[in-house]
Amino acid sequence: MSARFAWRPLLLTVGLLLSSHGHAADVDAAAQIERGRYLATAGDCIACHTVAGGKPMAGGLAVDTPIGPIIASNITPSKSHGIGNYSLAQFSSAVRHGVRADGAHLYPAMPYTAYAKVTDEDMAAMYAWFMQGVAPVNAAPERSTRLPFPFNIRLSMLAWNWLFLDKEPFKGDPAKSVEWNRGAYLVQGLGHCGTCHTPRNALMGEQASKQLGGADLGTWSAPNITSDVNSGIGSWSREDLAAYLRTGRSAQHGQAAGPMAEAIDHSLRHLTPNDLDAIALYVKSVPALRDPNDSKPVTQWGQAGDRLAELRGVPLPKDLNRMSGAQLYDANCASCHQARGQGSFDGSLPPLFHNSTTGRSNTNNLVMAMLDGVRRQGAGVGSAGNTDGYLMPAFRQTLSSEQIVSLGNYVQQLYGNPAGKVTLEQVTILRQGGAPSDLIGLVRGSLIVAGLALLLAILWWRRRKED
Amino acid sequence: MLILEAGPRVTRGEIVSRFRNSTRRSDLMSPYPSVPTAPHPIYQPTDSGYLVQAGPYPYPAEYIRQFGGTTWHWAAQAWRNVPNDFRLHSLYGVGVDWPISYDELEPYYQEAEEIMGVSGADNTGSPRKQPFPMEPVIEAYAMRRVRERLAPQYQVVSNTTARNSVSYGGRPACCGNNNCQPICPVDAQYHGGIAALQAEAAGVTIRVNANVYQLEHDAQGRIVAALYYDADKKSQRVTAKTFILAANGIESPRLLLLSASEKYPKGLANSSDMVGRHLMDHPSTSLTFDADEDLWLGRGPQSPSSIGTMRDGDFRGQHAAYRLDFTNISRVDGATRDLISRGVYGEEFERQLRFSSAREMSLKTVLEVLPDPENRITLSSEKDSMGIPKPQAHYSIGDYTRLGHERARQDFANVARLMGGTNLRPSKEGAYANNQHICGTLSMGRDPAASVCNEWGRAHDHANLFFCSTGVLPTCGTCNSTENGVALALRTVDHILAEQGIKPGTAAAAAGAPA
Repeated sequence: MSARFAWRPLLLTVGLLLSSHGHAADVDAAAQIERGRYLATAGDCIACHTVAGGKPMAGGLAVDTPIGPIIASNITPSKSHGIGNYSLAQFSSAVRHGVRADGAHLYPAMPYTAYAKVTDEDMAAMYAWFMQGVAPVNAAPERSTRLPFPFNIRLSMLAWNWLFLDKEPFKGDPAKSVEWNRGAYLVQGLGHCGTCHTPRNALMGEQASKQLGGADLGTWSAPNITSDVNSGIGSWSREDLAAYLRTGRSAQHGQAAGPMAEAIDHSLRHLTPNDLDAIALYVKSVPALRDPNDSKPVTQWGQAGDRLAELRGVPLPKDLNRMSGAQLYDANCASCHQARGQGSFDGSLPPLFHNSTTGRSNTNNLVMAMLDGVRRQGAGVGSAGNTDGYLMPAFRQTLSSEQIVSLGNYVQQLYGNPAGKVTLEQVTILRQGGAPSDLIGLVRGSLIVAGLALLLAILWWRRRKED
Repeated sequence: MLILEAGPRVTRGEIVSRFRNSTRRSDLMSPYPSVPTAPHPIYQPTDSGYLVQAGPYPYPAEYIRQFGGTTWHWAAQAWRNVPNDFRLHSLYGVGVDWPISYDELEPYYQEAEEIMGVSGADNTGSPRKQPFPMEPVIEAYAMRRVRERLAPQYQVVSNTTARNSVSYGGRPACCGNNNCQPICPVDAQYHGGIAALQAEAAGVTIRVNANVYQLEHDAQGRIVAALYYDADKKSQRVTAKTFILAANGIESPRLLLLSASEKYPKGLANSSDMVGRHLMDHPSTSLTFDADEDLWLGRGPQSPSSIGTMRDGDFRGQHAAYRLDFTNISRVDGATRDLISRGVYGEEFERQLRFSSAREMSLKTVLEVLPDPENRITLSSEKDSMGIPKPQAHYSIGDYTRLGHERARQDFANVARLMGGTNLRPSKEGAYANNQHICGTLSMGRDPAASVCNEWGRAHDHANLFFCSTGVLPTCGTCNSTENGVALALRTVDHILAEQGIKPGTAAAAAGAPA
């Protein structure tokens, strides 16, 4: 789809250039639309606003949040069901400040706190593309957002915005290079890297002091990508990092899976080499944060090895939940990752040692990869040109939680950071889609406390009056 | 919906684990031990005697009674017939015609291929209306060399296989472990275990360790219940409106014969005395030799290429049609065993092992067999470990098949010559290897006196009993029986659903065809 979209404005531009009546203004307009498409790709709007196999930007995808699923809206230029009636100012207000044309507040599942950094000029380009480059879809998504109290009151976001929304667009640092500033602009703004990679506080606001320091997303974990040599990407060269952002893998470091694989497939791999270089340059300058468990780089743990000697000639236990880690590895992993965990000669079947997935003390991504596999665009075939496929198959249906615990710990011990443990509780929770959030209780609790305080104040005031 | 599975539940992981731990890598049954509650034939290290041989020629069929069935260890060959296979008697005066045509089955072939994720060459003699769902797995080096060196005398084509070349249906692409048999270790191949999991995901209950030993009928001849032994050998009884018997070409007729009653003394569906008869498979003869260049068999899938020029022709009036299939199984295991058995050791062992692994190649015939009522499955007087009469095979190799082999010897010689072959080792004259393509024993046809079921797989004698099995194939052609069995089963299911007022064509969706 994206390839087809890429051609359309290009053909339009060529057509205009060839036309004897072509005006410079038309060429500029076409260029602006094309630039808007590129920026919307950098912003990865499609990730949430398009369901798999659905019409682009027609909404409908459920974004799981700690307070419940938020359904992405139709942002095609449909006048009846989309944003066709939005002015540039209204569009900008929605994207950058989280306020709809009707004044209602968006939930911050829409990363407007990041998009707030986008410049006016880029807003105008995206507006041009959304209005002229996207096909209108005159239909509402099948579901709509229904959150529990008090979050069902969209006005509650006003208080949240007051706490966490910085409306100031990106301001460059004149002391830094043009490239660095471009990288910072993309990472902080449209790229909204911090949306996943920056840890949040109890009220789900990003903690500025821990920028890109890594965060659990419920199931998958967004790792620390600060410049720290051990915990972050400090040991990666800029070229490695840019190549990873383009392909989703780096033979020396690891591979993208889960939401990062989606971000690469939908967005990052479509960016220009210059922009990816700029992103890499900037990310490598983000202040280092270190997890004390990371006593060496997360890409430097483990080595090739096997425990074949202890399982050959030994029959399987009657209760397969008691299969040893080595037996489970032999049965489920060795066919691709090879007997000694070394992967294939070209790294396309990745090694399990010197792999950031096994090199961390947080093992959520290892467990998630076993449960759900590694899914990438272009890896498969399906109907209607869908190319999603599994580079690594999902074992959710065939491995029990007990088996995943044994296997996960075996992999960590033999090939990864031995401080990383896999527990039954963890696998059970991840299998169910992550831990339930205490945010609802927290906010409701706060409201009760606030209500009680108000009540006490009134009583106190009355008594004083009576006295 | 309830599925009763005679054997235990198994997962791919434990099968892979057993395979890797086995010292008999070339014994396809070694990772599938027989269980006492639902025994199946085992021949190595010794014959368990489960399938009793009545002769004159042995029929050592292998199959698996476990969750998912025998396709756990197939080579994923998912061939369509050629159109003339359906009119063998009309065109060539031998065998029988099918009650349906190629064109009638074509949409179900396609449906089967989309469920299983099939790819192959377009020039195999089986026309298609829609493309395969994917491209074939990349051609193995050895097969490329064979194709190049046999052209133009022989056209070597990609086999039609249910093996992922890219991720499909949630399963990954083939990564070339070269042990499709006895187990694809990553599920790049489709198999019955996947189908069973898909059925469960769609809401079907599968009861394992439920060894059905009798079907009950009422006074009108409708089937009313299935009786089975559970894992504790307690008898259980389940009732249903519609019964589908899908227990392969040996166990299905066995159960019908076991279900004999006063009203049906010869067994169910057997008023014609056709149950268990017309047993067919594909006997193989082979030629192994050393090529004059290094080929290194063993990279990629085990059975990727073949020659199909003798699948059809006027010669079928005189002798069997056949396919010539090239193996791509790594020679290391076989060559090692051979050298050790001949007492070769040390440096000479290493030199010869290297030579054989690089140069040795082999091709075999996949020979057509005609339906012969004397080739049949009956009940033995011996009992199995559950106290149920064992199946017994009566089998022979007919002249038609033997003459097909005679003709194929010309091809063997030509192929060896074109590959610069030396040290030619043909299979022993008169010896025919078996391919486990069990069919014919529940044959479908229009004449109730000469067949077991009608074109929809419905028993002529019982309105609510259907067969989904390679047993229903009236003739065996030259292609592995699985896709014919699956396509006919899908057609049967559509028919059952239509009778219940459910729109045809929904079977694929229920089976979890990738959207």
